[in-house]
This record gives sequence, structure tokens and C-alpha cells, in this order.
Amino acid sequence: MTMLVYGLVTGVLFGFLLQKGRVLRYDKQVGALRLMDMTIVKFMLSSVIVGMVGIYLLHDLGLVKLSVKAAILGPVIIGALIFGLGWGLLGYCPGTSLGALGEGRWDALWGIVGMVAGAALFAEAYPVLKETVYTWGDLGKITLPQVLGVNHWIVIPLFIAGALVLFRWLEKRGL
Amino acid sequence: MQQRDGGWSPYLAGGLSGLVGVFSVWFAGQYFGASTSFVRTAGMIEQLFGPDRVASMDYFIKNVPRIDWQWMFVVGIFLGALIAALTSGSFRLQAVPDMWAGRFGTRSTISRAAVAFAGGVVAMFGARMADG
Repeated sequence: MTMLVYGLVTGVLFGFLLQKGRVLRYDKQVGALRLMDMTIVKFMLSSVIVGMVGIYLLHDLGLVKLSVKAAILGPVIIGALIFGLGWGLLGYCPGTSLGALGEGRWDALWGIVGMVAGAALFAEAYPVLKETVYTWGDLGKITLPQVLGVNHWIVIPLFIAGALVLFRWLEKRGL
Repeated sequence: MQQRDGGWSPYLAGGLSGLVGVFSVWFAGQYFGASTSFVRTAGMIEQLFGPDRVASMDYFIKNVPRIDWQWMFVVGIFLGALIAALTSGSFRLQAVPDMWAGRFGTRSTISRAAVAFAGGVVAMFGARMADG
């Protein structure tokens, strides 16, 4: 029960910030895919920077566990290509579709129903995919610092520096 | 940091959302995600028609159809966006997004619904395959 309350409160805070950042809208999402408006890229990268610093700090202090997903090339590459196609059509992603609905953009509702149907379809296909796509290129649960063989506090500042260069360039271009 | 459209700077809002994410991992041990909740929802709906079949399916054994932390997180996103929109006057009931209307007209509600539905099916299939 406590976990459900945690989930709701966290979601309210996140949804509030998504709306304030104006990243829930179709025009912003498709705008990014059309390389016209990079608001969502700024939002996501800012979130990633704060998240990676905070979580690695807490991890070094032994307070949290990392959640590393397996890097399996087959399903990640094919799945991402399929996702991108659907995202471009829908103009919302799974999390933001609920937020868009909250803002009154009720075309998101058709997308939400479609996504529940897509999840049901995937559950049907899973046994076949497990024997095929999921066996292609399994690299296991790896991280960038691990693959490069360096401490994460080398990778993190480099990532932040790269993001700042990108932000500067986007602002200069008025994107 | 106020933007032309009345919103906050995406750097500020994004950075704060990262902080919310850090606290979530710290206090609840939960990383942000949304798409698993669509699987659980599909399973809960299917249970109404065939509970035995759902119980026997690999993917619903892996992702048990029930309301969990993430499911409430997704409901929270809806409420949080609703609160932010209503308190700032940016709530707007809209059947067709502006960019879509610019290309296909404001009366294209049905075609928008069809494309959004189809896009949703495809997007979720891909997201689940990539485990995202």
C-alpha cells in the first residue's frame, strides 16, 4: 500500500513537471522528430544529467542499487525501430500519453487504447520472440564505464560536457 | 525562466524531474517507467474474459496483471499534468493537435483517432520488445 502511495505521489510530481516543461504535446514530440523543436531533448537530457549524478552518488554511498537492463542487440534495435515508427504516428510516448490526456489533449486516448492493444499483441507474440529475436546479440547487463574499463566519474563529466555543447548549439540555432 | 508559451524552461523542469527520479530510487527503490503498466492493464482486461488463459501465458507470468508502484505512477502523471494545466490556464480540450490540424485540417478527428490508435499499437509493441 505504501508503495502505491509512493507511486502516485511520484507520478503527480513528474506529471506536473512534464506539463510545466511543455513536453507532453504532440507538437513538441513530433516537432523533435521533425528536427524543428528540441524542447523534449533538452528536458530529457537535463533529467538524465541530474539523475546520473544523483544516483551514482547514492550508489557510491551504498544507499541505492543500480537497475541495469540486459543489452540484447536484436530486440533493442528492432524494437526501437518499431517504436519510433509508432511514436511518429501517435505523437506521444507511453508515459506522456497519460499526461497529454491530463492537459485535455484527448486524442491521446486513442493512443492509450492502442497501446493497451499493442501490449496484448506483444504478450501473444512473446513465446516466439523469446526463441528468436531475444537470442540475437545478448551482451548481458553491461554499463558504459564497465565496457570502457574506466571509473563512472570519468564518463559522467564527459557526458555532461557533451550535453552542454549540444545545448549551446541548440540555443544558438533557436531549436 | 518563463517561456513564451507560459511554461518553464525545459532545462529547469527536466532537471527537477531528474531530482524526483533520484529521490524515487532512494526512498522507494523505484526507477521511472511506464510501458510495463500497459502490459499489466492488458492482462487485467483479458482476465475478465479468460483468467485461465492469462494465468498460462509466459508474458503475464513475467509481468503479473496487478496494480503496482508503476501503475500508480502512470495514474499520477495524468493527475500531475491535470493539476499543472488547470492551475496555469493551459488546459485545453483538443481532439486534433495544432500541427496535425495545420496539415490535415481541424475536422480530421476520425483520421487522427485511427492514426493515433494504430501508432499506439505499433509503438507499444516496439517498446515492449526493446524492454523500455
